[in-house]
Amino acid sequence: MDSQLSFAGFAWKNLWRRRLRTLLTLCGIAMAIGAFVALVGFSRAFEHEWLRMYESTGTDLAVVEKSFLNTSLEESVGPKLSALPVVAKASPMVFNLIDLTPEINALVYGWQADSYELDSLTLTSGRRFRDGQPEILLGDILAGTLNKKAGDTLEIQGSTFTVVGIDHGGSALEAGAVIMPLDQLQKLSSLEGKVTAFHVRLRPAPAGEAQDHYVKRAQAQIEAALPGLHAIPAAERASNNQIVLLAHAAAWGTSSIALMMGILGIANTMAMSVFERTREIGILRALGWKRGRVMLLIQTEAVVLGLAGGILGLGVGWGTLRLLSALPQTASIVSASVSSLHLLEALGIAILSGLVAGAIPAWRGAHLSPVEALRHD
Amino acid sequence: MTSPQLEVRNLCKSYDEGRIEALRGVDLSIAAGEYLAISGPSGSGKSTLLQLLGGLDTPTSGEVFFENAVLGIAIGLDAYRAHRVGFVFQAFYLLPTLRAVENVQVPMLAVSGNGRNRGERAQALLCEMGLEHRLNQYPNELSAGERQRVAIARSLANDPGILLADEPTGNLDSVNSARIMEMLIGIHRKRGMTLIVVTHENEIANAAPRHIRIRDGRIVS
Repeated sequence: MDSQLSFAGFAWKNLWRRRLRTLLTLCGIAMAIGAFVALVGFSRAFEHEWLRMYESTGTDLAVVEKSFLNTSLEESVGPKLSALPVVAKASPMVFNLIDLTPEINALVYGWQADSYELDSLTLTSGRRFRDGQPEILLGDILAGTLNKKAGDTLEIQGSTFTVVGIDHGGSALEAGAVIMPLDQLQKLSSLEGKVTAFHVRLRPAPAGEAQDHYVKRAQAQIEAALPGLHAIPAAERASNNQIVLLAHAAAWGTSSIALMMGILGIANTMAMSVFERTREIGILRALGWKRGRVMLLIQTEAVVLGLAGGILGLGVGWGTLRLLSALPQTASIVSASVSSLHLLEALGIAILSGLVAGAIPAWRGAHLSPVEALRHD
Repeated sequence: MTSPQLEVRNLCKSYDEGRIEALRGVDLSIAAGEYLAISGPSGSGKSTLLQLLGGLDTPTSGEVFFENAVLGIAIGLDAYRAHRVGFVFQAFYLLPTLRAVENVQVPMLAVSGNGRNRGERAQALLCEMGLEHRLNQYPNELSAGERQRVAIARSLANDPGILLADEPTGNLDSVNSARIMEMLIGIHRKRGMTLIVVTHENEIANAAPRHIRIRDGRIVS
């Protein structure tokens, strides 16, 4: 049996003496970190997929209404936009989130049949849709989920559409989406004559002009020519559109509440532990332990709780994402990928939670008078 | 004449905003390597004096000197307790979650330095106390006498020059009391340590080469 006592081993023994309390605290912080990994991971993956979609279609700018919600703009500005010298192609589009079945909802895009964005899709079966016809393309993941193939029909909000093709796009948002003629989605969404945005592909930058500079110049030209409209670079649009912002806000809001509960759980455990061990802390102080060392011991215990809970939470979060990616209700919206940076961020938050939660109990324990603490029953 | 190792001058300690005076102007000099017994009735102030000598508490007025340096000013109390003094308490004060060999290492964790030999040193100290067969027992698996022997081993962990024992036999039967006192005196002689024992047992107090009595916070003889 190893006879060496290490500082970390001492901290662990203190935690392990109250196994049930320690395990319950671990569960609390694990759920909080799991919620963070799953929800924030979900919303970030959503944003990432949005950017991939812009990249795969070769969209440089999105032109939207210059208002807080930039909900919709007149479709009639299209020709004026297309006529600008910097614009190679301008594609009007509408998007919406629609329930396809009681269990499955999906992003629905309305594009014109000649939209350059359709060029980025690979048709695995069937053909493109035609403007003015009740025809749709289904992303391959969504088609699998709905068990539909080219030639089948699908009822969307009371209207029957023919699935004319199955496509494979560059992002999960396309793979899990319905694409239909612009006019059909305008009708379904009561947006006749309106579009959500124009997606713009710019002409190649003149020789010698940096791409960033060129995009900024193009933005300025568009906004000057079309007052009241805002031209947004694709990457910015990917992170700032309403759906992504809503997803981020919901994810961070829910995670923050869960993390607060987790921190309170650790703080409660550490406060009880310090109170129960008042005499033992007095013994440590009597044996020459400095205040800082006693604080370090208690903080180490809190951080071990945070870290162990965090590691458990990574598993919980990853498992939740896997589950969400398998559920028909959510599979079409986002992929289950989690970046290693996000996992590290979650672990950092778990450690920080331990530090924050342990701070007050550690300070209290360290500032006990040795004599008073030794007298404590 | 050599200067004292420990000295207190006009030492006063009061509690409860001055309503309780535990020590009232105590003067005392203790030479290095001396064996001193402090006795007195309950509440006389003998344990308070030991706590002040050990840097567990600070005086209300007066000063404690260690090798001519004022305790708490010229030498920090934490460092003093960690390096210079070892404590043996009546209630043993072992940590319940640690095995005997681990309890002995707790003071070693207070000081920085190479920790690789901590386990070996703790084992050697416990063997010196005759506990080589009880190294891996937890405090609740040890007898009272064995617990006090672990506590003595722990007090020697950082090789201090002064051993302070507060009623070390207070929770022991007569056989174990005699054995513990024999051990403490043996350590004092073998290591040349200063030994200060607070006791209310006259037999123990009278056996010490120097014996002071305290009553109502003052040294009376």
